[in-house]
Amino acid sequence: MRGGGKGRFMSEFLMYLTNGIIMGVINAISAIGVSLIVGIMKVVNFAHGELYIFAGYFSYHLSTSLGVHPFLAIPLSVFFIFLLGILMERTLIRPTYGDEMYSLIITFVLSIVLQNAALLIFGPYPNKPPTLVSGATNLFGLFHYGNQRLLSFGISIGILLSIFYLIKRTWFGKSVRAISQDRGMASLVGVDHLRVNMISFGLGAGLAGAAGVIIAPIFPVTPTGSSAISLNAFVVVVLGGMGSLKGCVVGGLVLGILENLGAAYISTMYRHIFGFIVLILVLVFRPWGLFGQKTQ
Amino acid sequence: MDIKKIWIPLLFLILAIFPPFFLSQYWLHVMIISLFYVMMASSWNLIAGYTGQISFAHAAFSGVGAYVSGMLAVNLGVSPWLGILIGSAVAALLGLGLGYLCIRMGGIYLSLTTLGFSEILRIIITNEDKWTRGTMGLQVPGFFTDYSKANCYYLFLVVAVLFLIIIYCLIHSEMGLSFRAVLNDELAASSSGIDTIRVRVLAFTISSAMAGVAGGLYGHYLMLITPDIPTLGQMFLVLAMAVIGGMGSFVGPIVGSFALEILSEYIRIYGEYHVLIFGLVALGVARFAPEGMVGILSRRWRRRNLS
Amino acid sequence: MNGRIIEARGVTKSFGGLTAVRNVDFHLEEGEIVGLIGPNGAGKTTLFNLVSGVYRYDEGTLLFNGISLASLKPFEICRLGIGRTFQIVRPFLKMSCLENILVGMVGKRDKNGSTREKREEARGYLKFVSLESREKVLANDLTLIEKKRLEMARALATQPKVLLLDEVLAGLNPSEILQALELIEVVRTRLKVTIFWIEHVMGAIMKASDRIIVLDQGEKIKEGRPEEIVNDSKVIEAYLGESDA
Repeated sequence: MRGGGKGRFMSEFLMYLTNGIIMGVINAISAIGVSLIVGIMKVVNFAHGELYIFAGYFSYHLSTSLGVHPFLAIPLSVFFIFLLGILMERTLIRPTYGDEMYSLIITFVLSIVLQNAALLIFGPYPNKPPTLVSGATNLFGLFHYGNQRLLSFGISIGILLSIFYLIKRTWFGKSVRAISQDRGMASLVGVDHLRVNMISFGLGAGLAGAAGVIIAPIFPVTPTGSSAISLNAFVVVVLGGMGSLKGCVVGGLVLGILENLGAAYISTMYRHIFGFIVLILVLVFRPWGLFGQKTQ
Repeated sequence: MDIKKIWIPLLFLILAIFPPFFLSQYWLHVMIISLFYVMMASSWNLIAGYTGQISFAHAAFSGVGAYVSGMLAVNLGVSPWLGILIGSAVAALLGLGLGYLCIRMGGIYLSLTTLGFSEILRIIITNEDKWTRGTMGLQVPGFFTDYSKANCYYLFLVVAVLFLIIIYCLIHSEMGLSFRAVLNDELAASSSGIDTIRVRVLAFTISSAMAGVAGGLYGHYLMLITPDIPTLGQMFLVLAMAVIGGMGSFVGPIVGSFALEILSEYIRIYGEYHVLIFGLVALGVARFAPEGMVGILSRRWRRRNLS
Repeated sequence: MNGRIIEARGVTKSFGGLTAVRNVDFHLEEGEIVGLIGPNGAGKTTLFNLVSGVYRYDEGTLLFNGISLASLKPFEICRLGIGRTFQIVRPFLKMSCLENILVGMVGKRDKNGSTREKREEARGYLKFVSLESREKVLANDLTLIEKKRLEMARALATQPKVLLLDEVLAGLNPSEILQALELIEVVRTRLKVTIFWIEHVMGAIMKASDRIIVLDQGEKIKEGRPEEIVNDSKVIEAYLGESDA
């Protein structure tokens, strides 16, 4: 180890940076959940944050109260949220197609309803599901880092790779891309756009849930944190550019690193402000985001 | 306006003079709060129902008005009457800035950014408790030295009626035509010579100023300004009142405000369920009866008249 | 000024990898009725959208009375004097016919004039398209041809010098087509409006236009008087190339 202050600064900095990168990929997963739905259906899912924390709560209750093994509880929770998303799409969102205004209202009201439901069902106290692995690893020979976090990083990378594979290589992904470019055309060539919509919404919800269950063993979930989570996802989508998967990853990393470094070196209380400042800067200087398309 | 249309509102206005004479202090308070929501819901309806912009910063702007006025009163001894005007001007400026940034990009961006603005404002207010007293609340002077609820009621009544008159004149003016054209079809409006961005930003700024005034009035009436004011929960109530009452109609928000505020008083006896209940009702209305209560009632009335 | 009210050179527009309009030159002389034809997907409506400001062109110049339309927004172009109708008719559905016209009048009028005068002027436009009896009816409740007439009247209310008509005759029966053609001619002669129109009803557009421009796959392949166009081999080939003409 190098001498004294500089060495310590370096190791602390790298630790915050690592935190930022890990949060960043989780942000990216969360943001893709939003971006998928916006890109295909032009609907912003304001209930995103609530689905995220619901997943966290499901995984907590499944593993503690019902004794399900965490390895099973996690995918099960994500699956429940996927189903919830499909239910939401069928009953509430589908009738509002073409009417941007009403879908905004409906998902916002839904987010408030779910928030209150979460308070009533789960109570206001933070819950933390058990970790899958324990202990810590020595990273770069400079500091010890929790293994659960490293595992979360690994799982997140796995999920991101799966999503890219899904979108770029499978028939479903091609339908998604076709619809987001031109719904009418896609319909003409035989894409069942209603079904793709429904599955995409479920997938978007599922990704919110996935991000939620990955985070929950590290940071406990509370019902009041959902708005900040939604906001984070939205900032990443705007920063990265609407409809761009690459943008979600880059944007998620940028935001994750900025927030963690900012919280560490500037102010912990205002960690969410960095995201909002980024949002305003993007709107002022480059509203279509890093990888978005500049339209008339 | 023809004479027939004037006598109904005039009647209501005359009736509205009487409540302080026979209502208890508790119910007078409920009336005052309802009038606050009338101001909020009507000014939100101006942008949502008449120009198609869903903003989530309305409660935040009312918070701006309240806190600016409150802090001026506490730190500089500024009278609430002046403080509220300044608070409203600050809210209008923020509305202008935020509006201009987002509106040129489209409705989704406005909704996202106003959501973020609302959350961030709440965080700042809660954290900067040196200035704002945070969650403990900022104690501020009231309007009248005698703390009379009746006087406050009349104040709120006058301002609410003033807002409604302003909104009515706006909607029926040439600017109102532009509002509704933009609401109906933005591309066609633009191709017909309407500067759609300017129209939307104007509506947004006016509505933010109104929210600022309403917030200031609310704060100095309660004589306590808390971070509950600029929350998304409050935003939801305002939205629910406009939606359930009838978005895009003039009377809808008025009906919605009174109905929901009075109902929530009854529901609170059993517990804090009113948000959940209103949420489910709002979902139902938005899904099945988008014209709200006013729409349903006017359809029934029309059917009875035709038969 | 050489009488050319619209002058376009080398106008090009691409969307991602697809070039919708490539290197198109054309001009409109004042008082002309010029038709724009071509098979589906030729870029006709895209060209209209470029002229009316809905899209920005990537290359080339586009002048209206010598003024470049390069960075102007649709409402600015409308106020300069270019009006349009849409392929899928777009009146303001939840507003009355009179209100639709009044909206068209907002952009260009000076603020003087009482409400009554403005309403009278609006009624004039409705009368021009024979809709004066439908003044209070919501646009949503009109028949298709009435909606088209309303959209035309609204465009005329913006006092355009050039009017872009996008497939106004679609869905009309033969007698309605004749009425529409008469109306278009009256607009040209009485209101002194230059007309640029897209049409698929060949008989009508050949009969009523002074000049025809033909687009195919984004490029201009022929231009000339209707008699010259009708028998041109390149034009016929372009149309035969598509499965349903």
